[in-house]
Amino acid sequence: MFALRRAAVRAIATPRPTVVRPFSVLAGNVAHRDADSLIGPGAQPGTVPTDLEQATGLERLELLAKLEGKELFDMEPLNMTHLGTKQNPIVVKSMDTTRFVGCTGYPAESHDTIWLTVNKEHDFDRCPECGSVYKLDFQGSEDAHGHH
Amino acid sequence: MNRSVQAHPFHLVEASPWPLAVSFSLLTTTLSGVMTFHGYSNGTFLLTLGLISTVATMTLWFKDVSREGTFQGHHTFAVQKGLTLGFVLFVVSEVFFFISIFWAFFHSSLAPTVELGAHWPPAGIQALNPWEVPLLNTVILLSSGATVTYAHHSLIQGNRAGVIYGLIATITLAVVFTGFQGFEYYNAPFTFSDGVYGSTFYMATGFHGLHVIIGTIFLTVGLFRVLSYHLTDHHHLGFETAILYWHFVDVVWLFLFISVYWWGS
Repeated sequence: MFALRRAAVRAIATPRPTVVRPFSVLAGNVAHRDADSLIGPGAQPGTVPTDLEQATGLERLELLAKLEGKELFDMEPLNMTHLGTKQNPIVVKSMDTTRFVGCTGYPAESHDTIWLTVNKEHDFDRCPECGSVYKLDFQGSEDAHGHH
Repeated sequence: MNRSVQAHPFHLVEASPWPLAVSFSLLTTTLSGVMTFHGYSNGTFLLTLGLISTVATMTLWFKDVSREGTFQGHHTFAVQKGLTLGFVLFVVSEVFFFISIFWAFFHSSLAPTVELGAHWPPAGIQALNPWEVPLLNTVILLSSGATVTYAHHSLIQGNRAGVIYGLIATITLAVVFTGFQGFEYYNAPFTFSDGVYGSTFYMATGFHGLHVIIGTIFLTVGLFRVLSYHLTDHHHLGFETAILYWHFVDVVWLFLFISVYWWGS
């Protein structure tokens, strides 16, 4: 089902101009869309709507991001490119002021998972097992308080 | 970033009265069902009340889910994945439910005790002929599997008329099946209380019939959502799970036909 849907999204793809962005958590101009762009035109009477005609809200944002060849939500695990140090920490992007990180060392899976709370206020956060340093890269807005 | 966009793809559901309301409706339905079967006064009145409130709360709950998915866009890719997985696990639990019923049937029928005349069907039981109505019902259910596939592929290809006619055909076949099962029950020469043959026969076919009725309601909800333009060509999870459920019910019937109706007669 998901494969089909992805194929459908790819088939309609009329690429929009890509906006260069400093981070990958949110896709391009998606973050700056107004409410109207979250409502599609809907189906013509007597036809079956397509996802792009019908989808609203967050589902639509995901589809629009896919049209730009991007993912709206970065669901991939952290990429351990090196052992984090104070000079060169592993950067943890976050929409919240804290993010939980399960450190398994470098290379990944070197030790048991140790859960760290990487905090925006901290200068750095360090894994007590392997010493890898993490630094939160806060992507959210200051006045947003995790209301769902 | 835009504050109105949540930072994760998951649907954190709001407080809802429907789980509690459905629980009490079902409690009323079961208790008053037992009251009715045992001849207590006002049993049927309470049963009617229980069934009406069950249908009412189901309708309101379905309406909420449709609103969240279709109109509010909460059903992102991640949410759809979770719903699919949840439904598949539910069907697995249903498989084990029917395994337990078949277990009871084979427990009694594979080595029938002396009290049954060491024979299955037990001495004095006139079993139904599988090559009459049960065979016809097999054909009807298998045909409904074909029509529901036609409806599904029509939807994927954007053929609205195809989905609607396919679903109407499927639902009609489903209702005809239930009608024939009712006819068989009405004319059967044995009852639920005619020993272990009647008990296992009516437990197995009765729970299958109940699932056919539930599947028919499920498909009917899908039909109404197609008519209301809720379902798109690639996002129609409720319809897809209804189809999965329908095929499950279909497969259970094949096992019933082979073991209970054919081998068991």
